[in-house]
Amino acid sequence: MKRIIRSTLAAVVALFVGSACTDLTLSPKSTINSETVFTEVAAYRSLIAKVYAGLAVTGQQGCCGDPDIAGIDEGFSQYWRLYWQMQTLPTDDAIIAWGDQALTELNTQLWSSSNPFLGAMYYRAFFQVAMANVLLRETTTSKLDQRGVPAGTRPEIAQYRAEARALRALSYWHALDLFGAVPLVTENTSVSEAPAQATKQQIYDFIVSELIAVRPDLPAIGAAEYGRFDQGTIAMILAKVYMNAGTYVGTPNYTAAMTEVQSIIASGAYSLDANYRRMFSADNQNSPELIFAIPQDGMRMRNYGGTTFLAHANVGGPLNAGDFGLNFAWWGLRMRPETRALFPSIGAGAVDARAVFWANMNQPNITNMQDFQQGTAAPKYTNRTTGGAAGSDQEFVDTDVPMFRLGDVYLMYAELNLRGGGGTAAQALTYVNALRQRAYGNATGNITAPQLTLAFVLDERARELYMEGHRRQDLIRFGLFTGATKIWTFKGDVAAGATTAAFRALYPLPASELIANRKLTQNTGY
Amino acid sequence: MKRYGVFALIAVLCASEPALAQSSSRIVGTVFAAEGGTPIVAAEVEVRGTGVRRVGQTRDDGRFSVPVDAGTYTVVVRRLGYAPDSAANVVVAEGATVTLSFRLRTTALQVLGVTVIGYGTQDVRNATGTVAAITPDKFNVGRVVSAEQLITAKVPGVQVIDNNEPGGGISIRIRGGTSVNASNEPLFVIDGVPLNVGGGLSSGRNPLNFLNPNDIKEVTVLRDASATAIYGSRGANGVVLITTKSGSSTEPAFTYSNSFSSSSIANRPDLLTADQFRAAVTANAPANVGTLGSANTNWLDLVTRTAGGAEHNFAASGAKEDMRYRLSLGLLNQDGILAGTNTQRVSGSASYRDVLLDDRLELSANFKGTRNSDLYSPGGTLGNAVSMDPTQAPLTAGSYFQYTNPLGPNNPLSDLALLSDEGSTFRSVGNIEAKWYFRQIEGLTGTLRSGYDYATSSRTSFSPSTAQGDIETGRTGRLDRNTPRQVNTLLEVFGNFNRQFASLESRLDLTSGYTFEEQNGDYASFFAEDLSTDLLGPNGIPLAGETRPSLSVEESRLISFFARANWTFRERYYATVSLRRDGSSRFGPDNQWGTFPSFAAGWRIRDENWFPSTRNISDLKLRYSWGVNGNQSFGNYLYVPTYTPGGAQATYQFGNQFVSTLRPSAVDPNIKWERTTANNVGLDFGFFNDRLTGALDIYNKETDDLIFSVPVPAGTTTGNFVTTNIGSMKNSGVELSLSWLVLEGRNGGWGYDAGFAISTNRNEITSISAAETDRILTGGIAGGVGSRIQVLQPGSALNSFFVYEHIKGANGQPVNGPTDLDRYVDQNADGIINQDDLRAYKDPAPRLIIGHTSTASYGNWEFSATARAYLGNHVYNNVASNLGHFSGLTQTNAPGNRHASVLETGFVNPQYFSDYYVEDASFLRLDNISAAYTFDRLMGARSVRVFGAMQNVFTFSGYSGVDPLAGVNGIDNNLFPLSRTVTAGLSLAF
Repeated sequence: MKRIIRSTLAAVVALFVGSACTDLTLSPKSTINSETVFTEVAAYRSLIAKVYAGLAVTGQQGCCGDPDIAGIDEGFSQYWRLYWQMQTLPTDDAIIAWGDQALTELNTQLWSSSNPFLGAMYYRAFFQVAMANVLLRETTTSKLDQRGVPAGTRPEIAQYRAEARALRALSYWHALDLFGAVPLVTENTSVSEAPAQATKQQIYDFIVSELIAVRPDLPAIGAAEYGRFDQGTIAMILAKVYMNAGTYVGTPNYTAAMTEVQSIIASGAYSLDANYRRMFSADNQNSPELIFAIPQDGMRMRNYGGTTFLAHANVGGPLNAGDFGLNFAWWGLRMRPETRALFPSIGAGAVDARAVFWANMNQPNITNMQDFQQGTAAPKYTNRTTGGAAGSDQEFVDTDVPMFRLGDVYLMYAELNLRGGGGTAAQALTYVNALRQRAYGNATGNITAPQLTLAFVLDERARELYMEGHRRQDLIRFGLFTGATKIWTFKGDVAAGATTAAFRALYPLPASELIANRKLTQNTGY
Repeated sequence: MKRYGVFALIAVLCASEPALAQSSSRIVGTVFAAEGGTPIVAAEVEVRGTGVRRVGQTRDDGRFSVPVDAGTYTVVVRRLGYAPDSAANVVVAEGATVTLSFRLRTTALQVLGVTVIGYGTQDVRNATGTVAAITPDKFNVGRVVSAEQLITAKVPGVQVIDNNEPGGGISIRIRGGTSVNASNEPLFVIDGVPLNVGGGLSSGRNPLNFLNPNDIKEVTVLRDASATAIYGSRGANGVVLITTKSGSSTEPAFTYSNSFSSSSIANRPDLLTADQFRAAVTANAPANVGTLGSANTNWLDLVTRTAGGAEHNFAASGAKEDMRYRLSLGLLNQDGILAGTNTQRVSGSASYRDVLLDDRLELSANFKGTRNSDLYSPGGTLGNAVSMDPTQAPLTAGSYFQYTNPLGPNNPLSDLALLSDEGSTFRSVGNIEAKWYFRQIEGLTGTLRSGYDYATSSRTSFSPSTAQGDIETGRTGRLDRNTPRQVNTLLEVFGNFNRQFASLESRLDLTSGYTFEEQNGDYASFFAEDLSTDLLGPNGIPLAGETRPSLSVEESRLISFFARANWTFRERYYATVSLRRDGSSRFGPDNQWGTFPSFAAGWRIRDENWFPSTRNISDLKLRYSWGVNGNQSFGNYLYVPTYTPGGAQATYQFGNQFVSTLRPSAVDPNIKWERTTANNVGLDFGFFNDRLTGALDIYNKETDDLIFSVPVPAGTTTGNFVTTNIGSMKNSGVELSLSWLVLEGRNGGWGYDAGFAISTNRNEITSISAAETDRILTGGIAGGVGSRIQVLQPGSALNSFFVYEHIKGANGQPVNGPTDLDRYVDQNADGIINQDDLRAYKDPAPRLIIGHTSTASYGNWEFSATARAYLGNHVYNNVASNLGHFSGLTQTNAPGNRHASVLETGFVNPQYFSDYYVEDASFLRLDNISAAYTFDRLMGARSVRVFGAMQNVFTFSGYSGVDPLAGVNGIDNNLFPLSRTVTAGLSLAF
């Protein structure tokens, strides 16, 4: 009996102590371990590609699956789609028909801090920040030495670091523009605690200093391979940031902006595209006018944002999706009557070629924002090339997102000149008329020096750059976004338009972020 | 060394036994009930001689065997609920076997038997936990495809929710949900083999379809923490133990049964008729009048049918000395009422049990193998049928009607003809068990059990280039094939010590053991698009324009040590203590191990000496239990930081190159299991000599460390959410079960008994994050992509609806004003209707659930009926909200049919967030009725039984949708018509 008990105890002890019986450590088999990933040098290139890809696609599987950010349908979560919506829908530029409450809020400027699109844009911007920080932390000299990265690849990695910092600065600019004072998280910030809120001035200073710091490590203006940043992109971001500095920190810096604008023009790297429509067509990677475009590809970069959204959503009603190289019409976006009114009416002789497609549906005025057949279809984005060939896929569009282009730079020159930033009035007139000549095909649309006023520039920006995601920023710079001075259809959720409160020039910080990060203070008014 | 330690233990125990020097004399026999002659299981057989006392127990078939030395003995047989019986002066000669036969008289009208609990069995009367066993005589009848349907409405606190499709998905909630992001389904254990959460793998229908309900002997539901704590990290949502039939000497040697059924539509979505639709288009979308046809088509009629089903079951069982076996074969072929759907099952099982080595080794084995073949309705057949224009003729001169606009629905008849979607699952579950009776220590046994669950399935959908969807999307044929495979292996070793200590007036039942479970899964899928030919159909892959193969391999491990002690003192005081220590590979090294204790006590007040010996109160037992359970049913590797490589369609363009990407994951390395702590107070009672018996239970459950995906401070990780343990919720409720023997049915007269299962449960989220005011939106709906209409927030019930308060007009209808401010109450009075005006309003959980079962007999006739009522459950009618607005007629030139509610509301634009669509879905349903007649000794058969049954006889409900039981989460997206099934069949026993 004793013997039994003893041996039983011995066996039980052996069972508990014997580690094999209690071994629970199982490593994932179908994903890459964080300890082994950098044994391949190509990982650094894949990492910088992911920082860029954060602008272009939504996850790791293409259109659908394994999204970068959670809490929202993946299709909605594409960077440019979110940014574009926030810069466009609350303005006189475009309106969207779909019944989602969150979109109605954007259409009318009456958003709440729990609006999922605002939150998603905020997280998108900070996803870029976090990705860039990962790259910067994983590519320090000591880490590269430790992993024995060969000297030959070091210059390339130095460029990745510069690109990551520039991409981070781009997203901080977007965050500053949309949300104002946000936390400033760099590769040196502790991630074990919630980061503190920075001031708008601190964010502004950070963006400017970072862009100036990385400029020498990037290829000359126009010299980068397609899809990557060069000094032209840096100059463009700096020009935008300086130009809107009045909005951000109270003091505009038109002179510095003009310096950047002039450097872009003087480089001679870009020229106006003779064909306005090419910049929104499936072969726009060949356009000489684009300074930076977010690449899109129907086979290899699938997502439901970017130009896939812009091309599909602009089609509906009497428009035939197939004409645009698309499988479906999404019946979403129309131009609001106020922007349409800036173009000469159809049949009045002079034709502005930028007025891409005047599908006169039931009525240009909008009384029901959810009725696609009200308003003006303005489908300038297409999934066909200028030669008429369809894109590689009918669902996912090949057309790249024109983020920065020379046409915008010309209008910036004119505006900066008018605002006292330097340059000459004659040069400004030349640039504006270059755009107008392209639009009219001849000099009939040209303007004279007295006609070139700030008000004209704002209208010309609406005509030249409609549906390109600039309008909210422009209206704020002109002081017309909120308030009673400028009213448009469904502003303030009234069909005829209504006044909105000034605080709505900034979006609220997302409600979920305020909970996760107790150090943040909500923007005034929300 | 891995599992060899376990074998070593057994080897050590066995080897240390003295040589087989004992006498081969023995006392064997049987114990049967005096009335009815059924075997009495687990009766105690005490053999007493001079200075000797040996105790044996009867097995499943009422047989016992007690080895003794030569001598003279007194044999006493005892069983709760029966009067003891004894045989004195039993003389056993050296080497002889004496056979005795006992017939025990019941002392109560209803006798509760023995039921399985985790790692053992227990007398129902002695149970300290809340355990309910359902046996075949109480099972639901009719066409039952899945085991869960057998116990619908039978056990209080157990909700069984199916999706109306034969063999379709079924959800079970035991005492409400305890989780948000992990599963809320109970753990299923079949003959000791735990299945994966949710039941395991299938090609799309209910995973438990692999189990033939005809092979089931008993379904036992463990509800309170004391009963489930022995399953530790998987017990939080209750445990369902399924015991399958094994051979028994009293069972007929051959049985054959069949049944044939016919299902027809009982209720369906309320859509506009052709005339109503024509009028609606004319009034609201004059521009689209030209698109209307002149026919009068009911599209739902065209895609549904009266569906037949047939089932055949054969079983052969027998006994040879101590050996028992049972072999069975089942065939099921059931059509769905939706055209093109079908489920078939071929199932086989083999069960073996023997007692060997001088009664010291009990060996048993169970094997089941099943092939399920399923046909699914391809594409969106139902959705398309619901939204097709009813004025169009489906087929004109051999060509299908299709909308010219690709946004319109596709003709479901065309899809049915061209597309295919089929699946098959092969699954086998088995176990081998060896139980060793140690002679040196009376009452000590050791059990070694090994089991497996192997499942492989395939699901293939195919769409040829000629299908409308392909034409519209520009694809020329698509093939999608998923072929997952899972293998689970189980090794358990446990010892049991069960002995009466007369001097201490006690009985001790101790169990302790070790289990090792490993799960391996590989999940392969293949997608091909732009096929060069349609001719291979779903059976081959021609040259394809685009292919996407994928493979993911996962494994997980669960290792446990457990112990349980049951102590019975003076046959009226009971105590149970159990402890389980679980280790799971799903968590990081610091959180792998968790401890799950439980405690329970019982007091049979009725048996106190001071209790009046009235037969009117025949039983009274008070129970209390406390225990901690866990939930670990979510993904593997959540704690491991990894880099995910991007796919070929998620690259980034550098010049002319498309570079693959890498993304680091955002994880919480400290993630651990959800923990539920539960208290239960119960009262078991019997009145009028146990003519009326029942149990009343009151419980509360508090779940902490709920796993939530929570927002993290932006910029700190690559991702805005991290899955971590943060929330908590509680459930509390009252359950009452009653069994009332109204008429005993003596001498072929009327017999009638009635059962009730009544329960309430209240759920409340107590926190979901660090912030009191935080809320998480859930409940995605159809329409308005990304719209969610339910909320998790502290103070509200799980998945409360989160909607606007619709202003009601004088007629009680929702106001249909021009702006949101006209329609909805501005809760925060800021003059704006936006997300801040949504509020939590009602929730999907029923306040009260009542299940009722009636069984009656007269002579050879038997009748039964099962009914169910839910009170206070609310459903969001998503079919109405998605289709109940006129803008669907104007938004495109492909106007689709509308839900009839639009005629009342007149909504132009969808009002997804209106509380108008949150409806009270209380209902009363007669789930099934049946009648059966048994012939004695007809044409040489031992018995011939014929039966007829009707399922889903009627439903009374104020709910406007198809089925008030639409989905466990209360969002009614269900287009599937409700069916009524009539079944008839016979069974023969030889």
